[in-house]
Amino acid sequence: MTKLTYFPGCSAHGTSEEFDHTLKLVMKTLNVELEEIPDWNCCGATSAHVMTENLALSLPLRNLVLAEKLENNTMGIACASCYSRMKSTKKYMDEHPDKAKELTSSVIDEGEYTGKVEIKSMLQFCYEEVGVEKIKSLVKKSLSGLKVACYYGCLLTRPKGVTQFDSPEYPMSMDRIMEALGATAVDFDYKTECCGASFSISRTEVVHLLTGKILEMAKEAGADLIVVACPLCQSNLDMRQPDIEKHLGKKIGIPVMYFTQLMALAFGYPEKELKLSKHIVPVEEALSNIGKVVETPQQPTKTKKAVPSAESEAK
Amino acid sequence: MIRLGYLEKNTFLEAVNKKSGANVLNCYQCGKCVSTCPVSSYMDYPPRVIMQMIKLGMKEEALKANSMWFCLTCSACSGRCPREIDIPAVMEAIRHIAIEENYVNKTKKVKEIRTFHNIFLDMVKRYGRNYELRMMAEFNIRTRNLFKDMHLAPKALLKGKITIGHEHVKRGKAIRKMYAMADKLEKSQKG
Repeated sequence: MTKLTYFPGCSAHGTSEEFDHTLKLVMKTLNVELEEIPDWNCCGATSAHVMTENLALSLPLRNLVLAEKLENNTMGIACASCYSRMKSTKKYMDEHPDKAKELTSSVIDEGEYTGKVEIKSMLQFCYEEVGVEKIKSLVKKSLSGLKVACYYGCLLTRPKGVTQFDSPEYPMSMDRIMEALGATAVDFDYKTECCGASFSISRTEVVHLLTGKILEMAKEAGADLIVVACPLCQSNLDMRQPDIEKHLGKKIGIPVMYFTQLMALAFGYPEKELKLSKHIVPVEEALSNIGKVVETPQQPTKTKKAVPSAESEAK
Repeated sequence: MIRLGYLEKNTFLEAVNKKSGANVLNCYQCGKCVSTCPVSSYMDYPPRVIMQMIKLGMKEEALKANSMWFCLTCSACSGRCPREIDIPAVMEAIRHIAIEENYVNKTKKVKEIRTFHNIFLDMVKRYGRNYELRMMAEFNIRTRNLFKDMHLAPKALLKGKITIGHEHVKRGKAIRKMYAMADKLEKSQKG
């Protein structure tokens, strides 16, 4: 059994409980033991770096120091926003050891920082460490017939210098995982467009505009549902969807699921384990497509080839 | 490198470069950042104009703008910048300078954005974690808009989207100390 240090992030105990729950089921099947960082704190997310410098570095740094006390080499992070803050802080600390020393000695009271723990998003962990082949071999119930639009958002692949994962413009890792589960991943031009993130509360009209475009585009691409790997994206795309429909003056009705929910389903967990009742836009109708024959792809294969794949980008 | 023929030293440019780690002088005004930015239409000046203002030393105009408050740090611009300038870092630098030197944009929109960030940080200071429901409620109270998003609450609560119970960081004292010390460090760096 592999051990992995786990940072759930604040929303895992609130809006994205279904992500946390299904992630744990998936990891059980993959034979990975998640070891949660004891007494972790909020990474500061969007707000700390907007308003301050030292606090924005100190909040993630405390978690990094605590993570080093566990004996694992890698830390997996569920939330894309936490992932971005923690990984950019790690990069900064590794490049500025004096700053790390200053903060750990005067601001954070938890010990030294050495930088020995590597950080990966849970999507990255599944794609790089577990691998598509292994995921494929564990599928008990193929998701064939289901057409999905994989939405990555900003922070899982950007900035490239920080994340070092997949393509910042047209990533394919989640698409590959979905294909391994038997689903069809549609070509989706808006997969890395911003959803408006934390403006959800303070500037809701921005989220309505940006998320509206993503939802419309996913519908146009012919997807039954949108797959995400970030709690904030999920809540903007799902919880705000009825308001966005009002704003756009038309019905969209496209459900938004976490990639781990679909993995758990394909790994044979019963539907009640997916916590589907948490979704604002109901998912049952989309999932009823599983097992149906997919009609010929709506885009010619030519355009598919023109898109750089995750593998060639990574090289 | 672009020479602007300025006689006096552009201290604003120097401060922004130092804080952000970027070199704003590298910008050759292609405008790719503007067409990429998802929120440029909300900005007083789009990123390209802000870059030029910094190069010209137009400190007051740049710092009073709402642009950096609308920046979502999505990094789409920097990924496409042909001069590889870390534009979000530049936006962050001028935001921090604006806060430090009290140049802050007084419009309602920017005030609300700042209120949200302050509520977020206060919550983390108190509990070590953040809680969406409380954050939404506090935002409505502080911006005197009690009914905003209230139509979402019953459904979200019913579906268990928002939990009422809180799980706090056990060593809350360590978090509060971190806040105090980080603030102290900020002030000592400024002075």
